[in-house]
Amino acid sequence: MNELKRKTENGSVEAEAEAVSSEQKAGEDSGLGLGVLFFIGAFAVCFLSGWLLFPSLLYSKKEQPLNFNHALHVDEMGGCDSCHYFRDDGSFAGIPTTESCMECHESQLGDTEDEAIFMKEYVEKGKEVPWLIYSEQPDCVFFSHAAHVIAAGMDCVSCHGHIGTSEKLRPYEENRLTGYSRDIWGKNIWGIKKNPWDRMKMDDCADCHERETGSKGACFQCHK
Amino acid sequence: MKIDRRSFLGLGLGAAAGVAASPMTWKLTDDISIWTQNWPWTPVPRDGEVTFDNTVCTLCPGNCGISVRKIAGRAVKIEGRGGYPVNDGGVCLHGISALQYLYDPSRIKSPMVKKRDAWKTVSWDEGLALAAEKIKSLRDLGRANTIACVAGSGEGTIAGLYRRLLMAAGSQNFYTMDSMDKTWKMLIAEMHGFDGTAGFDIESSDYLLSFGTGFIEGWGSPVGNFMANSSRKDRNAKLVQVEYRLSSTAAAADQWIPAKPGSEADLALSICSVMITENLYDKDYAEKSGKNFDDFAKLVTEKYAPELITRTTGIDVPKIKSLAAGFARAKAPLAIAGRGRGDAAGSMMEFAAVHALNCLAGNINKKGGFWMTKDADTMIWPSLVMDDAAAKGYAKAAAGPGGSPDRLFDALTSAGEDETPVEMLMVYNANPCHTLHDAGTVRSAIEKIPFVVSFSPYMDDTARLADLVLPTHMFLEMGEDIHGCASSVKKVTALSKPVAGPLFDTRHPGDAVIMLAKAVDGSVRASFPWESYEVAISEVMGDTWDILAKDGYIKCASQPPAFRPGVDFKLLVGYDGPPAPLGDKKKFPLILVEMDHMRLTSGAVASSPFAVKTVPDTILKDNDILVEMNPETARQTGVSPGRMAVVETPVGSARVKVNIFDGIMPGVIAMPGGLGHFGGDNRYIGGKGVNVNELIGPVIDPVSGLDAAWGIRARISRA
Amino acid sequence: MTKDNHGKAYKFGMVIDLDKCTGCGSCMVACMSENNVPFKENETDKKDSLTWMTVYKLTNGKPFPDTDICYMPRPCMHCGGKGDHGHSPCVSVCPATATDYGYDTGIVSQIYTRCFGCRYCMVSCPYHARYFNWWDPKWPPGMEEYLSPDVSPRMRGVVEKCTFCYHRYQEARDRAYYEKRDTIAEDEYQTACTQACPAGAITFGDLNNPDHEVYKLVKPDPHNCGRPRDPKAFRVLERLQTNPKVYYISEREWVRKAGDNYRKGEWDKKNMLTKADGQH
Repeated sequence: MNELKRKTENGSVEAEAEAVSSEQKAGEDSGLGLGVLFFIGAFAVCFLSGWLLFPSLLYSKKEQPLNFNHALHVDEMGGCDSCHYFRDDGSFAGIPTTESCMECHESQLGDTEDEAIFMKEYVEKGKEVPWLIYSEQPDCVFFSHAAHVIAAGMDCVSCHGHIGTSEKLRPYEENRLTGYSRDIWGKNIWGIKKNPWDRMKMDDCADCHERETGSKGACFQCHK
Repeated sequence: MKIDRRSFLGLGLGAAAGVAASPMTWKLTDDISIWTQNWPWTPVPRDGEVTFDNTVCTLCPGNCGISVRKIAGRAVKIEGRGGYPVNDGGVCLHGISALQYLYDPSRIKSPMVKKRDAWKTVSWDEGLALAAEKIKSLRDLGRANTIACVAGSGEGTIAGLYRRLLMAAGSQNFYTMDSMDKTWKMLIAEMHGFDGTAGFDIESSDYLLSFGTGFIEGWGSPVGNFMANSSRKDRNAKLVQVEYRLSSTAAAADQWIPAKPGSEADLALSICSVMITENLYDKDYAEKSGKNFDDFAKLVTEKYAPELITRTTGIDVPKIKSLAAGFARAKAPLAIAGRGRGDAAGSMMEFAAVHALNCLAGNINKKGGFWMTKDADTMIWPSLVMDDAAAKGYAKAAAGPGGSPDRLFDALTSAGEDETPVEMLMVYNANPCHTLHDAGTVRSAIEKIPFVVSFSPYMDDTARLADLVLPTHMFLEMGEDIHGCASSVKKVTALSKPVAGPLFDTRHPGDAVIMLAKAVDGSVRASFPWESYEVAISEVMGDTWDILAKDGYIKCASQPPAFRPGVDFKLLVGYDGPPAPLGDKKKFPLILVEMDHMRLTSGAVASSPFAVKTVPDTILKDNDILVEMNPETARQTGVSPGRMAVVETPVGSARVKVNIFDGIMPGVIAMPGGLGHFGGDNRYIGGKGVNVNELIGPVIDPVSGLDAAWGIRARISRA
Repeated sequence: MTKDNHGKAYKFGMVIDLDKCTGCGSCMVACMSENNVPFKENETDKKDSLTWMTVYKLTNGKPFPDTDICYMPRPCMHCGGKGDHGHSPCVSVCPATATDYGYDTGIVSQIYTRCFGCRYCMVSCPYHARYFNWWDPKWPPGMEEYLSPDVSPRMRGVVEKCTFCYHRYQEARDRAYYEKRDTIAEDEYQTACTQACPAGAITFGDLNNPDHEVYKLVKPDPHNCGRPRDPKAFRVLERLQTNPKVYYISEREWVRKAGDNYRKGEWDKKNMLTKADGQH
């Protein structure tokens, strides 16, 4: 046996070296195990951060300037179009201006804190409320509300979901890279959607157009 | 346990797999591609409700109605105002660019005082106090008459307030910039004994004989003329252009008569002679009710028969005869004068010779003819309070006789060391250092004036030489009364209104002068009893104000005036040709003329960035101005196209680039006007090209006393 | 939606009367102002200047005093391509589908966010109607306030061109939807240049609609890819079969002849044919 021979010939020095080498061996044996461990560890960390940390890093949460109770207003005013109406030229007014809010809110109507903020910061100063719009599309998009709501007879819920029955405004989530609202890509980080209003990217528009009109349409139909 | 290569491999692989199994990569790929499509620094204009606000453009005397498209209250575009009597929806490029003037980098943001050649920002109170102090001290010294003011035009209540300030202080030195309207006004006073304004019913005329006017290049009411030109075919109307260069007007005309420069008046008289000898004139009007007709007829038939002037004009006899026949046989023939844009006074004799055609045709105060209308006296000014200093000062003659700014600056230039004919100059809505001929000398004259106040919204060629600037609003930020385009028969009195801003610490020019008068105190203050310009205009305009405030404008009936003043040909009997251009023919064999290009402004304000964008590089290439000449001229002078050359005139010289154009008469070279501006912080136009007015010297007309120059003798050589 | 230009869809086009055009430049500036077209500090250097609408100056090349000039405004021609099937020179080469042909309007689009700036389309356009953004647009301080939200401002590295003010069509359609109409009237959709032209030289409308002024002016031949039947009307570079939707009118023969390259004798032969046609 070579090993034995070496041991006897070189005595303890050799043995010490041997001890090192056997330790090395043991290390080599468990090397794969450690690699796997590292693999699993790194996988877990990256996987979890990709799922959990990444979305919260990618999106910055912004609070709306004041809370708005949609449900209450729908009760008081009727349908969505009493505030979100079409102008006479067929364009969509979108979020009401402070001036149109003041048609009712000339003076304080309720005693909530938000109402007080609204009166003090915006009505009295004649300023517009810097609402953060969940469904804001990028500048290159021309979206015609008239085409969808009037011509195609779609209701608001189809694209905007049940915001009309909400009592509180959820925080607005802005993509730090693109500046888009999270609602465009969808709450789900994979962008998987269950409801039509969960995601509103170009492909979602195109899918619906293909389904409903038989064509995705020309570029200029929705771009400017 | 030891960390080795494999562990790191494991770590890396694990991380990669973990990332891959998470949405991070895919989401980031998408987001990054979106990020590259929407750079955060690309502006996203705010959306909102579309509204329109109407006002009137005052960039040129055309005064078109404009409509400002606003989105969420923010002005985004200027369009023509449909239904407005002057322009009915049409609009020129400068009007459309007006928002660029609003945000012009050369806007003056607050009052400034020049101290040791550096500007120092001051408050309005401080600025006004400085100017008022100067007026007060001059009045105390009994030198009130040395206060002068140069304004763009004399029309309207704002100009009225400036004039009033001068009178109240005690000075006759109020000047307005020359234009063809001044000459026409003098001419009808001379030939018809009529005090009023001349107008041309172009859109009803069926034969327009234009003597070098830039009829569709900015003359008169530009947009109205474009429309009239377009409707010619439908109206079966003719346009004949007499010009030594194929301008856009000449190109659009049915007939182009390339008469030699300076011979236009001779040609007009020659046509007169044919009309008289061939009995093609309105005997009732010209002969029976006219004065001195026989002497005039004798002059033109003896001295200006076509055979005699064919050499001076370069137009052959049959052509002159056919012109006379065409003009005389037309139902509503109309002859017009005023070269280029008509923003120079021009020669009175030339205007008279051209107007003789209208008189011979008898198309005076008729549809499609030449109209004389009384100036509507709508303004009621309260009586002026003049104290001793004012009365004494006002009794002294103006430094520049006849209200000519050229002669004012001439008086300054020729004044001796110890004389100061003008101690203080106020400049409003004018840029004499750029628009007057021999601009270099005007600049030196202004530099001689101890105290110059500019009311300009922009740091322009004149404001930069001022000692104090009291910046006023630009026209979109203010309202004023506007009294139509003089040369048009569509007499419209309008009220403009603020449609934007004010963006900076500027004041309404009317408020500025009222505030200044109040700061002067004493009788000057008493002459300005109004709180503000708004109060002043509502009182001064009287009954008109209520209609203007309600409707925005008043359109006078576009019917020819009912009466027809007779004609006196006396002025023309002494005709000996319009003044010749400056310079010795031998030393300067060529003639340099200014060409007005529609895409460049020529008035007080420099062109906008948009306008510069439209200017072709046969006009301006990088910073070089191009001089236009016939290939023949280039051959004779040895200059080559695209190369630099030096143009020299008796007044100055400039480096230019050569542009060859077949359509210009050999021996004539043309340079575009409206360039070579001091742009201040506006580098889009500032410093580009050369101001042609630095090369052309003024020629004082012996009849009108105004500047009659339209060109100058010149030479060109390789640079 | 029809797949070619012969169906019921709109086919928007423009007719420019060159005898009325005075070369004033209003159309160019109206376009710049309407479409947020940027400008650079040195706009007298035309190499990288963006002008969706450009006015060219043509001369007849004759010496003084027989010289004549003509101004020719040139927007994007919105070519229908060979056979008028929508294969415009630019559309057929775009590798990014950043420009496409709208079969419902006949308008060639340009989507800036989609374009990656290869400039293939610029090479293929025979009319030089396409422009490249070599730089990010920069406005003097405060001037960004006048930008219109109707047209997306561009970024560096993309191509842009005239869109026949498509946003005005979108706005007209919105109004029609709101008023529960299927069609839009002639005057509801007009380009900014048409509206601004003080000479009234530009006419815009639906070339498929015989009631529209553009149709009456040029009488496009539906069986011949919209070739003008009016002898005074012509299209530029007709022989390339790009089938542009911009027509020009002029009474002057040399102007019409300048619209294309003709072989020796070809012009006279063509004119004789037209005259013979007229006699029938």
